[in-house]
Amino acid sequence: VGGRLQPRRRDPREHSVLLVEDDVLVRRELADYLRRCGHRVIEASSTDEAVTVLLHVPEQVSLLLCRADAAGTITGFALARRVRGEHPGIPVLLAGNVEKAAAAAGEICDEGPELERPYDPAVVLDRIKRSLAARDRAGGGDG
Amino acid sequence: VDHTAEPSATLADGRGSILVVEDEILVRMGVVEDLLEAGYAVLEASTADEAIALLDGGAEVDLVFSDIQMPGAHDGVALLRVVRERFPALPVILTSGRLKPPREALAGDTLFVPKPYFPGELLRMVERAIEGGRSVAAETT
Repeated sequence: VGGRLQPRRRDPREHSVLLVEDDVLVRRELADYLRRCGHRVIEASSTDEAVTVLLHVPEQVSLLLCRADAAGTITGFALARRVRGEHPGIPVLLAGNVEKAAAAAGEICDEGPELERPYDPAVVLDRIKRSLAARDRAGGGDG
Repeated sequence: VDHTAEPSATLADGRGSILVVEDEILVRMGVVEDLLEAGYAVLEASTADEAIALLDGGAEVDLVFSDIQMPGAHDGVALLRVVRERFPALPVILTSGRLKPPREALAGDTLFVPKPYFPGELLRMVERAIEGGRSVAAETT
């Protein structure tokens, strides 16, 4: 696994993922993975931030990946419903837990500009679990 | 390619990794885009508390770029104090459209850039701060 990206087949701006995840340790790993797959990633820490992006720069979003229980004024479910209604051209992937979010990131990676996955989504999940376990051992909060 | 291997630490070999701390997502998007295009790896935090969680979690960061006014238990100046205490060699750039940091906060490696700033201005400052941080790290090792 190299640190540098492989040559891109397509413009990464055509592959902008709006990632909605309120746990910063989880979001960081998912975003890092998707960027290594050649995607542009817009990180939203809540559904409110996602709504702001969709209100002001919807043209910059080509796909939504959202945790169903993401923090915010509206739930991830409600956000997904809203996007399907107001932005039918934006595909929505709604993940019920961290495992499904990592698997969804793997699927998105396969559709990305990179010729092949930089590494397996199982590695993403493993890194997330280790980060969360380390925070728990340190007595950290909700991130 | 071994798909199960650990990834390398950062996307951008050599240029460095920057933790961007900004609660306004549209502003954060712009800064992140500029830094990525310049070849830096970027980590994002929407609050100082998220930034502290990333740093405490062992995130490899060469520079913290933080807004001053933010919601949560810590603002940018409080984040700076935490960084100075726990990661003293890590350079910090503070930014704000309204507040100037207290004079004592700007000691050492801390720089301040008022909003609005031009991308080129920010990138020059980032480069300067990272180089400064590397010099300090080299002197202390």
